Amino acid sequence: MQNHSQVSPPPPRRWLQGGSVARALLGGLFALGLVAGCERIAFYSTGRPPPDSNEGSTTASSSSGGSSGDPTGGMGTVTRATLIDAIATCNLELLDTFQKAAQELSTAAAKAKTDPQARAEAQAAWSKAIDLWQRAEPFQFGPGGPTNTPGGQGLRDTLYSWPLVSRCLVEQNIVSKAYEAADFGTTALINMRGLAAAEYLLFYTGTDNACNPASAINTSGSWAALSADELASRKAAYASSVSSGIAAMAGKLLGAWRPGEGDFDTQFRNAGKSGSAYTTEQMALNAVSDAMFHVEIQVKDQKLARPLGILDCANATCPEAVESRFAGRSRVHVRNNLVGFRMLMSGCKDGEGVGFDDVLTALGATALAEKMSADVNGAIAAADAVPSDDLAQALAQNPESVKQLHDAVKRITDSLKTEFVTVLDLELPQTVEGDND
Amino acid sequence: MTERADAAPSGRLARLASLLLRPEDAAALAAFRFCFGVLGCVSALRFLAYGWVDEFFVKPRFFLSYWGFDWLAPLSARGMHALFVALAVVSACVAVGFLYRAAIVLFLVGFTYVQLLDVTNYLNHYYLVSLLALLLSFMPLHRAYSVDAWLFPKLRSATLPAWCTYLLRFQVGAVYFFAGLAKVNSDWLLHAQPLNIWLSSRTYLPVVGPLLGERWVAFAMSWAGCLFDLTVVAFLLMPRTRVAAYAVVLLFHTATKLLFPIGMFPVIMVVAALVFFSPSWPRNLVAFFRRRAPAPAPALPAPAPLPRFFGARLALVACYCAFHLLWPLRTHLYGGNVLWHEQGIRFSWRVMLREKNGSVTYLVTDPRTGRTQEVPPRKFLNGRQERDFSTQPDLILRLAHQIARDFEAREGVRPIVRAHTPVSLNGRPAELLLDPTVDLATISDGLARATWIRPVPQAPPIHLESLAWHRP
Repeated sequence: MQNHSQVSPPPPRRWLQGGSVARALLGGLFALGLVAGCERIAFYSTGRPPPDSNEGSTTASSSSGGSSGDPTGGMGTVTRATLIDAIATCNLELLDTFQKAAQELSTAAAKAKTDPQARAEAQAAWSKAIDLWQRAEPFQFGPGGPTNTPGGQGLRDTLYSWPLVSRCLVEQNIVSKAYEAADFGTTALINMRGLAAAEYLLFYTGTDNACNPASAINTSGSWAALSADELASRKAAYASSVSSGIAAMAGKLLGAWRPGEGDFDTQFRNAGKSGSAYTTEQMALNAVSDAMFHVEIQVKDQKLARPLGILDCANATCPEAVESRFAGRSRVHVRNNLVGFRMLMSGCKDGEGVGFDDVLTALGATALAEKMSADVNGAIAAADAVPSDDLAQALAQNPESVKQLHDAVKRITDSLKTEFVTVLDLELPQTVEGDND
Repeated sequence: MTERADAAPSGRLARLASLLLRPEDAAALAAFRFCFGVLGCVSALRFLAYGWVDEFFVKPRFFLSYWGFDWLAPLSARGMHALFVALAVVSACVAVGFLYRAAIVLFLVGFTYVQLLDVTNYLNHYYLVSLLALLLSFMPLHRAYSVDAWLFPKLRSATLPAWCTYLLRFQVGAVYFFAGLAKVNSDWLLHAQPLNIWLSSRTYLPVVGPLLGERWVAFAMSWAGCLFDLTVVAFLLMPRTRVAAYAVVLLFHTATKLLFPIGMFPVIMVVAALVFFSPSWPRNLVAFFRRRAPAPAPALPAPAPLPRFFGARLALVACYCAFHLLWPLRTHLYGGNVLWHEQGIRFSWRVMLREKNGSVTYLVTDPRTGRTQEVPPRKFLNGRQERDFSTQPDLILRLAHQIARDFEAREGVRPIVRAHTPVSLNGRPAELLLDPTVDLATISDGLARATWIRPVPQAPPIHLESLAWHRP
């Protein structure tokens, strides 16, 4: 049995008697609870409170980070905001130029549909359009980007879905004439339209198909029944259909960005302000950074490592994995991807103007800015040194040159994944945000 | 510790026993139990609401298990979702004190199981939650202000032995102290990193934003953070400074919550620090809001006689405390910079000390042909796992072993597995983390010093200049 001794209640603590302190503490707890309740679900879904639009700005002078002259066009300062503006301007110019090229392709393909002699003209128009598109590949944020990103409409894949391309599906459409549907170029599956399908249709003159012998077009004899002339005629008609779809989708992408239409350009430039899909400027730059990682998976790994036989390849090399197998422009594509990357990294005009290197320099990471700019130029030089526009041929002639190009690109991606995201405090792509400590 | 009488206390043991077994008002610990349960419930619901159950435990194709826990596997998708629902339910039971003993043990087992599934999910505050749950499972916190006490009158007690409070204070105090000790390093104090990097990217914040790009602010916050962690426990322990210290705790954790994506950590620490208040603080608080004198504290019984096996129990508690005083220091046995080699970095309260990013490429060579192929980690890991994995040598080693096993199963020969691992720590130029010539397939995982990790880079961390976010 326990002995109980009654004790007098302790007097209220002085701080409780004071009242204001206790209220302040509870207020703090409440505020913390509110903050916890309002935390971000995922990086893109919400963000930190938008900055006060009236907030005064501080400025920092910077160098051009390897670029000659004043990258700011006379403003004399580089901020993340000026970088966002520069990227937005560059992107809009690029998409506008591409849209015009896509329109030229549509016109040329329509002409080639009725005039076989015009096929070379259509091929040239395709080459012009794809060269511009390859430069735009590292710019796929906003409407061009995946649908789970801010403003993302997945329009990139409707224009160029590589490596999601199905030659067999295209050939099945040639048999079925599905391309004759008025909206085929804008609504068909992405792996049977766009610039990749147009490449096959405009450049491949063989009469074979890539479908399984057991597939319907082969077992029914419907493919074999097509004469060479008929096949060429249908390919030209199909090319015209997808080219007009490319022009339409290019117009849609440009319109999604252009002020007065979709106006995502304003949303991007106004990152951190009310109405923008990006709740902070950091979030907008992170979207650009994510898009720049195109050079890691698509360029380094899919376009170079796999054909080289050092990734996902059972044989010594896998030339069948190169991009642009029908036009033979895989080296040019890689080069244009790198040029597009340089437009973001070092400035829009061949490495002149405001780019990430200027922000890095302004932050004091001059060595990193110079290293990355030099590495990008080095990779472009390595692409120039590959002896053939067709990497499949280059692999046969001089595989070491392709390996050197791969290694040069890896130098870029190593910096991108380490120092670049560290210094700018960016998140790596495809990273679901959880808690940290 | 209060159930059964043991031998009569005498001497030092008696004094210690009277200190540890002294009955105290149960109100504070009941409030702590309630807050802990609510936090556990909210944490589980967050995982469900944010889709993290799928992202963390269902979608990954490969889990980087803890050393010695390879046998642990996730449940099915439905099972993992059910587990988190169950965690929310048992947490709520803990909060209200319903079937408390069973609920806290189930919470401990379930929560710890979840944390042990994948090392890339490791967070210091998850570890703290597991430890607190472990301690709570030995404490009869359901004897007051609980459904159990309402349902089972025999359980009721308005007091609890003082050792419960002391042990919780020790655990929470250890977190702060070792977190402060970990900040005593050159990157933090002499270079203000990684705060300089993190604050420089948050200059968009209203009011304070423009200041955050200033290096002196990063230095001030680094030193203040270190001093706060090292001293706050002492100030919380002293009655005269307790309120002010807790106000600083609130300020500190609110600031970190606003600045950094650290989830529940600030809330957990703000709640955990309540253990430093007097046992009757909830009564006093209620009295204050009712504007009347506090309800009488319960009649405090005389100290209970020594429970059975008191000495053994005391030794167990002493071992627990000794372990938690020594274990966070084990990294010093390895030498070098723990932020680089990361040996002994987990379970040592090294909180927010590094901005570290890496890129890992495995080079797998068939010894028969000499042919080398690259294996990117993304073949096994998702983006979140890869981000955390790519800077942690033991995880890189573990995946190398898996790659070797896969290759051997497919080709019938053990491959040579090397890794190219550039890593940037606190803005230093990227350098290789692992020796690129070492065949990782031949390296055994373990606690020994890893000679295959390269020395820390000699270059200092970067110093970032102020850069405006807003348009000039």
